Amino acid sequence: MSTICNTRGLGVTMARASACRPPSVASTFLRLTIADLRQALLARWFVLYTAAFVTLGLGISYVSAMAAGSTGLDGFGRTSAGLINLVILIVPLMALTAGASAIAPQRERGSLAYLLVQPVSRGEVLGARFVGLSLAMVASIALGFGLSGLILSLKGGAADPGSLVRLASLAVVLAMAMVAPGIAISVMTRRSSVASGIAVFVWLALVFGSDLGLMAAAGAMHLRAQELFYAGLASPLQVFKMWALCGTDATLDILGPAGLYATDTFGARLPWLFSGAMAAWIVLPLAAAWVIFTRRSQ
Amino acid sequence: MCGVSTVIATVVLFGVAAGSTAACDGHGESCGCEDPDVTLRCMIADASPGDTILVPPGAYHGPIVIDKPLTLIGVDRPTLRGGSGDILEINAANVTISGFLLAATGDSLERENCAVRVNAGSAVIEDNILYDVLFGIDLKNAAGSVIARNYIGGKDLDIARRGDGIRLYRSDAATIEGNVLEDGRDAILWYSTGVVVRENTSRRCRYGFHLMFSGDVTIEGNDLQENSVGVYIMYSKGLTIRENLLAKNRGPSGYGLGLKESDDYTISRNTMTANRVGVYVDGSPFTVEGPADFTGNLLACNDVGMTMLPSVKGNRVHGNSFIDNAEQVAVAGRGELIDNDFDVEKRGNYWSDYGGYDADGDGIGEAEFESRKLFENLTDHRPELRLFRYGPVHEAIEFVARAVPAVRPEPKFVDWYPMTTPPPSGAAVASLSARGPTVRTGLALTAVAALIAGLAFASSPIASSLRRAASGARRLAFRAGGES
Repeated sequence: MSTICNTRGLGVTMARASACRPPSVASTFLRLTIADLRQALLARWFVLYTAAFVTLGLGISYVSAMAAGSTGLDGFGRTSAGLINLVILIVPLMALTAGASAIAPQRERGSLAYLLVQPVSRGEVLGARFVGLSLAMVASIALGFGLSGLILSLKGGAADPGSLVRLASLAVVLAMAMVAPGIAISVMTRRSSVASGIAVFVWLALVFGSDLGLMAAAGAMHLRAQELFYAGLASPLQVFKMWALCGTDATLDILGPAGLYATDTFGARLPWLFSGAMAAWIVLPLAAAWVIFTRRSQ
Repeated sequence: MCGVSTVIATVVLFGVAAGSTAACDGHGESCGCEDPDVTLRCMIADASPGDTILVPPGAYHGPIVIDKPLTLIGVDRPTLRGGSGDILEINAANVTISGFLLAATGDSLERENCAVRVNAGSAVIEDNILYDVLFGIDLKNAAGSVIARNYIGGKDLDIARRGDGIRLYRSDAATIEGNVLEDGRDAILWYSTGVVVRENTSRRCRYGFHLMFSGDVTIEGNDLQENSVGVYIMYSKGLTIRENLLAKNRGPSGYGLGLKESDDYTISRNTMTANRVGVYVDGSPFTVEGPADFTGNLLACNDVGMTMLPSVKGNRVHGNSFIDNAEQVAVAGRGELIDNDFDVEKRGNYWSDYGGYDADGDGIGEAEFESRKLFENLTDHRPELRLFRYGPVHEAIEFVARAVPAVRPEPKFVDWYPMTTPPPSGAAVASLSARGPTVRTGLALTAVAALIAGLAFASSPIASSLRRAASGARRLAFRAGGES
């Protein structure tokens, strides 16, 4: 390389210069991202979860399309409610486990050390992991919703095309808000099995624990509607659900007094509130992961 | 222009250019042809009872008082303006007002600023446009009146400061037909019997139609949407409510139809959809006289199809379709609905969440429909827990309730003869049915997935071949450079 670059003749230096420089930051990042994306898409669990997501999505769409056929009416009823539930169950599990396998397994195998001696910063490695995994989630979600949409349109079911795309986009946001804590878990643990275990535990806690706990607290401590709403904002799953429900008619009153409170207090600012909560779930875990990852010897 | 055009009895003076003050002369006061307001009042003053006055186009100012039986017909829709007060007051029976634009009353709720105030019977108010009015048409002791085909647009005020688009007070046998009401408070009937309310439209009001202490009222074919409540019946009896479309009523109460302490009603073939609550029943039937029938209605996609207070008894709910309401039937508070019938003469309702089957093909399921959902039971007691609706915990709780009979609640009610196909519905719902997603949306989303997969897997060969090509080019360039 160096011999090539030391050639004389100014006329060709411009063309050569770009070839001779070490790879730019952007292209390194891109290459890392694509490698991470490929790795995520090939992971056994990821493929299985995607298959489950797509199959269940198709099932829900098919059944709801058949049922709506009798009247042509489908409010928020079946299709969207079913898809929301499916997203809440599967997307966080996928994203958390994918995130948890971002760093820990490679550290265990020792390949991380090899990667880190390359001329890349640790922040780049972490960022590329996040973007690559998020892209993998986008692919999985787009496939699930896309095939569901095809089924719905072929069966003449009732769901607004816009709302389908919207729901898919919100699912991607939720996925990102779950990939980030997954990566944080992965950075903090030394062993990959521990990382996956914690990820599944966090998933379980978020899916069932937080809602059941809140319900119990609401009963035991007589939480008021507004306290319940703010407590709900802490869970990205709840935020996703509220955001998705809020879209159909811009009110949340289907969620009872807590939803009414939210609609009356925040009104059109609700989406901002929700995006803020989601952004916190993305930024804070990533920041924590970055701090730990850059401080650690490895 | 002094276009006084009057039809007085048979004498026609239409479009006379000048000197047409003759009609006013006998009255002894100046008719002031320069001023249309004076002219109009003059024409009214000079007319004999039973005359028809063709009011020429132009702008006039209220308040205008009519104290003898007259027919006022606006030619090319003249404007009557109210400014800060009322516009038109009718103090004699048999007055007809037709073809006017009545614009801008005052906004004093205390004085009840009103576009058309009727204090006598048999008035006919038809084909007018009322715009920016506090109260629209206010009938007091005006039996036999007709309010037809008017547009009544309320003021852009907070709901608490608005007035009623239509108000009847002790005005029996009135007909309210084909009106359009927007942005008002209520269309309200006080102490009026034998009223027919037909084919009116209402949007963004508080109550589409509101009955207080009224009787023998027929409400049919109305289209009442986006109000707080579609039809709210209070302390009334003898009601026929049929073939109305009550949709998207989601205000503070949010009922398609509300019934409070009323009696003797037949509610049939209505469509209640996308309301917060399709039908709300509070203390009705109040006594046991007359029927209390809900039949042939379509209750679809409401947050709650039908809410009953626990003390309610004696309703007969049969032949209705309950489709995809987030909660089909709710009890507001603790209790059951066992004193209401959900099937009559071996015919129940269609429930979209019915899981049974019809073995003998008679359209009636072989197993009963029981409403006993644990989560609904919880939210009926503690409505704030609805926050968890549509989440996995909601499903988990229902699953546990089915699996563990010990925690399964008592059924709220039982429909022993659930229908397996929905009966034909009354009001048109075509406009409300959602569109199906296009094939394109599905394909586009799938394409996104394919694109990302392509990026992941196709990129490496492409990148390596590009790299190879680049290094080849470089070598060529080097060779070229070396040779030169």
